[in-house]
Amino acid sequence: MAKIERAQKLFLKALKNKFEGDVAETKTEFYKFGGLNQSARKKEFMEASKKVELRRGISMYDPNRCHLGGLPMGQRQLMTYEVSGTGTFVEGDDLHFVNNPAMQQMWDDIRRTIIVNMDLAHSTLQKRLGKEITPETINEYLHILNHAMPGGAVVQEHMVETHPSVVDDCYVKVFTGDSELADQLEKQFVLDVNKLFPAKQAEQLNEAVGKSLWQAIHIPTIVSRTCDGGTTSRWSAMQIGMSFITAYRMCAGEAAVADLSFAAKHAGVIQMASHLPARRARGPNEPGGIMFGHFSDMIQANRKYPNDPAKASLEVVGAGCMLFDQIWLGSYMSGGVGFTQYATAAYTDNILDEYTYYGMDYIKDKYKVDWKACSPADKVKPTQEIVNDIAGEVTLNAMEQYEQFPTLMEDHFGGSQRAGVIAAASGLSTAIATANSNAGLNGWYLSMLMHKEGWSRLGFFGYDLQDQCGSTNSLSVRPEEGCIGEYRGPNYPNYAMNVGHQGEYAAIVGSSHYTRNDGFCLSPMIKITFADPSLPFDFAEPRKEFAKGAIREFVACGERTLLMPAR
Amino acid sequence: MAYTPQYGPGQSVVAENRRKQMNPNVKLEKMRNVTDEDIVLILGHRAPGQAYPTAHPPLAEQGEPDCPIRKIVTPTDGAKAGDRVRYIQFADSVYNAPSQPYQRTYTEMYRYRGIDPGTLSGRQIIECRERDLEKISADLINTNLFDPARVGIRGATVHGHSLRLAEDGMMFDMLQRCILEGGTVKYVKDQIGTPLDKKVDVGKPMDDAWLKANTTMFHSLVGTAYRSDAEYIEYIQRIHSLRTKYGFMPVE
Repeated sequence: MAKIERAQKLFLKALKNKFEGDVAETKTEFYKFGGLNQSARKKEFMEASKKVELRRGISMYDPNRCHLGGLPMGQRQLMTYEVSGTGTFVEGDDLHFVNNPAMQQMWDDIRRTIIVNMDLAHSTLQKRLGKEITPETINEYLHILNHAMPGGAVVQEHMVETHPSVVDDCYVKVFTGDSELADQLEKQFVLDVNKLFPAKQAEQLNEAVGKSLWQAIHIPTIVSRTCDGGTTSRWSAMQIGMSFITAYRMCAGEAAVADLSFAAKHAGVIQMASHLPARRARGPNEPGGIMFGHFSDMIQANRKYPNDPAKASLEVVGAGCMLFDQIWLGSYMSGGVGFTQYATAAYTDNILDEYTYYGMDYIKDKYKVDWKACSPADKVKPTQEIVNDIAGEVTLNAMEQYEQFPTLMEDHFGGSQRAGVIAAASGLSTAIATANSNAGLNGWYLSMLMHKEGWSRLGFFGYDLQDQCGSTNSLSVRPEEGCIGEYRGPNYPNYAMNVGHQGEYAAIVGSSHYTRNDGFCLSPMIKITFADPSLPFDFAEPRKEFAKGAIREFVACGERTLLMPAR
Repeated sequence: MAYTPQYGPGQSVVAENRRKQMNPNVKLEKMRNVTDEDIVLILGHRAPGQAYPTAHPPLAEQGEPDCPIRKIVTPTDGAKAGDRVRYIQFADSVYNAPSQPYQRTYTEMYRYRGIDPGTLSGRQIIECRERDLEKISADLINTNLFDPARVGIRGATVHGHSLRLAEDGMMFDMLQRCILEGGTVKYVKDQIGTPLDKKVDVGKPMDDAWLKANTTMFHSLVGTAYRSDAEYIEYIQRIHSLRTKYGFMPVE
């Protein structure tokens, strides 16, 4: 390990914007900032609360009375945050998912998505019923399905239906690796892999999908919000069954319909997440069941930025921290507002970005890894020595940055924030150098041990317990002991209550593929499905989308205002 | 052969300070003399002179079951008397505070019995029977483990360890439980933040040179750079490597 020179500090702009005076000074002033009044958003909250109280006659947001028995926040400078990679400054409150419709829509778009194979159904129709399947019949079926999926009736003569403006985000497209078939289908229904992906990625995806035909289905946001992720496959299967009946003039009650239903509900289905055990009690398509490899496929930054695996991975960190920390652990599993403060550290103020790009400079300088070329050819063999070297150097550099810039330490004022960010940079650098997800995870755990011993502090015990024992399982792949990173997820035993880790783990897994310019990490179908430009949330730019949500420029779906009196 | 603890690796002054704090054969250096009564005031669990509230009758009165473990382990004074379990919690500044969260825990585990430490990034708590706590707190406050300006005694709202220092050298405390007045630090609130009837003087802040020479945290700007202690880093990487290899293939 040896420090390398890197003049550019990506976090400096944010620090200078956030803090008065010299950002490298160790001393400052406190207790003079006017408490909450320094925050425009907190003032807005207080004003809004007054109106709510008048309307409903019940007290509400009252920080001047309720916070610490009368001592409000803001005895030090309340900071704004730059959403990393966007140049957009926001208030912390704007990054709580309740206040940020883009964050909600990202999760909505995952939860309401299901991928269903068509070959099984076609086989049933052809072999069992002797029906002819042609591009024309498939097009007709897709027209019917795009009428039925949002809630249009197709068989019965007297039925209730849903208002199209309330379910306007619901649709179905298809994809295949068979370009001849794709060319014969109506463009409006096709996810064109060759147009959406860089050539090498498209080639891999087409080869992996082959001649099979898949439906990328997004049920209405409002349905999955009212019900849950387990609804998605059921809602879609019902409408698929009815659409087949209509498109192929089947008898509504004939036994072959059961085969179509079985294919749509079970045999040909790819859920975005597996169901969870009783102790956590969630159905499929809920956040705790998303494998890290799948999540890295959902996020599309490597498609848009194929020559910058660091950026692609940092986008996964942002999206993953939001989903796994803020929504999954922070609300499904816990509740309240605290988790946002953890999670945002990894995707604000370009701090993790700076540490990660230091790692990129280091692997290029020492190991000659041309990380921008994204080729499997120049990757380093993941020996323990090399993992220790890369993760060790990135960790030392990150710790030194916090030391050299006291405002940086103040920005990440909690140890868990620093621990996640330092270890993420270490893991990402290692995974990008080696193209090995488990080597990246191993780098994460070395970073945690070095951090703890250097500063004699780490996170809190519920946070860092797993990190202190993680070295041992990072290369275990036997059942019940571990797994390769791609198949781990938020419910992997050592990670199950591990706030501030899971978005980063997902990114480490993804980065080991982005650095090779792989078409996908674990599922070509999921990769293609989330490349869809018709989705309300742009999965290639999650951090930009969060910033748009924070400054109130993001338009989400699933709104009910149409159906209510104007206020 | 009897096991001789080594208390950790490293050739730097930070490493040496860590070993000295942990090693119970090294006497902690007495730096100040905060009275027992003042310590009770800072802790805020009972009024000075008040009898210790109890959680159960004295062991001698309640009748102990015939238990081999009870025969091996001698109860502490607080346990014998049936005291409540109460706490003291410290926040240690990253700017060369003498002790740091994990270091505190290791030190206390080597030096005291009947304690339950909890270790976080910005604070470290120790819980034990109340009369034992008061004795231990006297050690923790009156010796070289403490600095009036860079160490805070805080039950809740602890943040300050990672923030820049105030112009007068004090660590940030939202509740301003202690203030620098006339050259010494005085507690005006107890550790949970309840105002005290009288100010408790905990002495003069140590100067920067003393703090740098006595801290147990590496810091490349104000203290000793972690990178400079190659033995320390090598040792951690060795532990990590061995754990990794054993997890991968336990037969190795």
